[in-house]
Amino acid sequence: MRRDRALKLLLAAVLAGLVLWGGLPLRRHRHFGVPIVKGPGVTEVRKLSDYSPGLEGTMADTSVFVLQGREPGGKALIMGNTHSNEPEGMLAALIVIENAVVEKGTLFVIPFFNNSGSRNTRPGDGYPLYFDVATDWGARRFRFGNRDASPLDQWPDPDVYIHYPERQLLSYIDVRNTNRTWPGRAGGPLMERVTFGAMELIRREGVDIAVDVHGAETMFPVTNCIVAPEKSVKIATLASMTVKAAEGFESHVEPSPAGFRGLSHREIGDHSEAMPFLLEAPIPFLDQPTGPKTVRLLLDGKDPFLLSLSKKKKLFVPYDEDGWPLEKRVGQNLSVTLEIFRQFTKRTAARPIDVRGVPRYADVVASGVGRFLADPSKAAPGAVVVN
Amino acid sequence: MTTEILIILAVMVAAYVAAKAARLAVEIAMFAAALAGGLAGSVLGTPPFGELARHLVEGSITYLDVMLVFFTATFFMAVVNESGGVVYAVRATLRVFGRRRVPALLALMVIVLIPGALTGAGSVSLLVVGAPVAMALGRMGLPPKRVAAILFIVAGLSAAAPPVNIWAMILCAGTAIPYVGFEFTLGIPVLILGAFTVLVLGLRKGPGAASGPGELPEPPQGMTWWRVLVPFLVFFGLVAAYRVRPFATPIFGLALEFTLAALAAILISPKRIAVAALARDTVKRLLPLLATTVVVGMLQQIMTATGVRGLVSFAAISTPLVLLFLLLPVIIPFSEGVLTYGAAAILGIPLIWFLDSIGFHATVVIAGLSLLWPLGDGLPPTALIGRLSAMVSGYQGPYRDFLKAAWLPWLVITAAAMAMILFSTKLAFLVKWSM
Repeated sequence: MRRDRALKLLLAAVLAGLVLWGGLPLRRHRHFGVPIVKGPGVTEVRKLSDYSPGLEGTMADTSVFVLQGREPGGKALIMGNTHSNEPEGMLAALIVIENAVVEKGTLFVIPFFNNSGSRNTRPGDGYPLYFDVATDWGARRFRFGNRDASPLDQWPDPDVYIHYPERQLLSYIDVRNTNRTWPGRAGGPLMERVTFGAMELIRREGVDIAVDVHGAETMFPVTNCIVAPEKSVKIATLASMTVKAAEGFESHVEPSPAGFRGLSHREIGDHSEAMPFLLEAPIPFLDQPTGPKTVRLLLDGKDPFLLSLSKKKKLFVPYDEDGWPLEKRVGQNLSVTLEIFRQFTKRTAARPIDVRGVPRYADVVASGVGRFLADPSKAAPGAVVVN
Repeated sequence: MTTEILIILAVMVAAYVAAKAARLAVEIAMFAAALAGGLAGSVLGTPPFGELARHLVEGSITYLDVMLVFFTATFFMAVVNESGGVVYAVRATLRVFGRRRVPALLALMVIVLIPGALTGAGSVSLLVVGAPVAMALGRMGLPPKRVAAILFIVAGLSAAAPPVNIWAMILCAGTAIPYVGFEFTLGIPVLILGAFTVLVLGLRKGPGAASGPGELPEPPQGMTWWRVLVPFLVFFGLVAAYRVRPFATPIFGLALEFTLAALAAILISPKRIAVAALARDTVKRLLPLLATTVVVGMLQQIMTATGVRGLVSFAAISTPLVLLFLLLPVIIPFSEGVLTYGAAAILGIPLIWFLDSIGFHATVVIAGLSLLWPLGDGLPPTALIGRLSAMVSGYQGPYRDFLKAAWLPWLVITAAAMAMILFSTKLAFLVKWSM
């Protein structure tokens, strides 16, 4: 009896030790701050809760960087980390914040759109907690998050998620997915308040263009593309054709399905005057049939299983020994975004959006992503925002 | 890379087999496999040893919500049972149906289908109505083996039934296909296959058949229909309220909905319920199941971090089409047995993308696949629904014998599911009817 009790106590102590050893890194990840350097074009930093007060004081509140141009013009919103396991969107947004100078018009940039998701992990999927991007001055570390918000911030889930306002039934998990909760509600579940904040920003500021930057699996048919609803499709097509002709990479146009609700490329257009675009760059890390989910796979996008499947024509993008490295994905997102601005400006001369200083595809592929990330330790006092 | 992953897989299998050979419980054997796989992975490079504990802890919470639902639903039914509600309901059912066997079986099938259809979890069906239905079937002369087989198949079908089918939802969420058009596409096959199952396994009477309540224990004095129904009305009322007025109803979640229903049952019970003791007993009874759920998450996490999961997915996707169709009736249930809902993401998502790209109708294929997955809930190592079916029906014999009793419905469901996949474009009218 006494031996049984001692054994149970020992097992409980081992378990407690394991939980501490394994649990503390998860806690540190949730509270890890990412420093963002305010670049030469940043004129103001707001919070999304300025547009959706229900976010104030929650982990879902996030920074909105405003880059006011020297001259008035059109307005654009760029969102990264809608899905926080697709970092090519967040890094593209960060490069804009830290490098862009706006000549005409105004940019609003939200690099961690689903801030709660970026502090979440994906239990069962064995993701790394962080990834480092090499720069000229050392490595810059980022949280690697999850597609969905943390249950610590929004819980419980319903048994089925009913989309507002269309009442379409969606998976229960989509109640925490900020690309299913558009257009959102002021008093809805937390992620609906996030998308509501963005909708309010778009409506109140008179945003013309909203670009939601993502990554998608190589086995997903809707990858390497610009998803656009009817109102955005002309600009998307022109941007797609131009980047292919001038910069040599493919990013075809996919129509936004009218019957699939809750997505940014559908609801932003239906609930505001803005033209939405959703960019998808191929990210092999997210594919199911890959080797271990390592930081290396995340960064270089090289995987032998995908290479083999590519030879069997089971991928939706060209794939060879070079994989789909981060610099290609980020560079592609940047070039397409800039091209959308240019095409919009050509068609709407009264509301020009002219952005300088942002590298394009060839620059990022040649020099790497880190080349365009600033060193927070060398930034001027007050020039760093921790998100 | 493939060699390293195969070595890790071999180490995991060896650890599992060794633990089973040492007569350790299935949960301990699975934990041994996860730990050994993680250690082998660390030796071969990934995950780093320093992250092993994090992976195990993170994996252990993969199904935390499911575990909460298991506990609260079982506790709710334990309260109803303790208050005398179960025996009262069974006596009344047997009185009403008397000797009319076919309508009695079909009515019991519908009773099992409803909770699972509303929540997407066959386990909820079993935990909520499994015990009274098992008792009723027993009174109709069915041996526990056939009772367990009926409950296993029908509870599995209830999880696949509309409106909530979690496999289909995971696939739709992962493949960017709207979760619409499943009402008839899933509802019709589920009703036909469910009716087939209860009639095939339930029509033949066993030696102890009785037509009325007979010598069943008497319910406590003061028990009435209202006292039985109110807790269920609280639960289904809360589920229905969100469906009917989703933007005015707070999201309670299944765990709280079951807890509130249990609270109602405690308050109106004709006899005093020892809540703490009952909760402790419920945890004791559920411990093996909860432990399995924890360890399955750990196993999944280690399999992904080491690349074993990717290799399994790769092997399935790179199989030639004809061979793939021949193997699907085995691969899909087997994947569910190992990974539970995780299987839908690992195998299902790439499979749907691939079949969709070569002209199959994705919605019908998803419906077909989601008829196959519940069969795997009877397969080891997890066997969640199979074990629950045995538990609530009081079946004490060898596990494989009760599974064997379900062979004919299993084959028919497999044939129906494969027909839906192979002839998906011809069955697209079901999706149109549902829209």
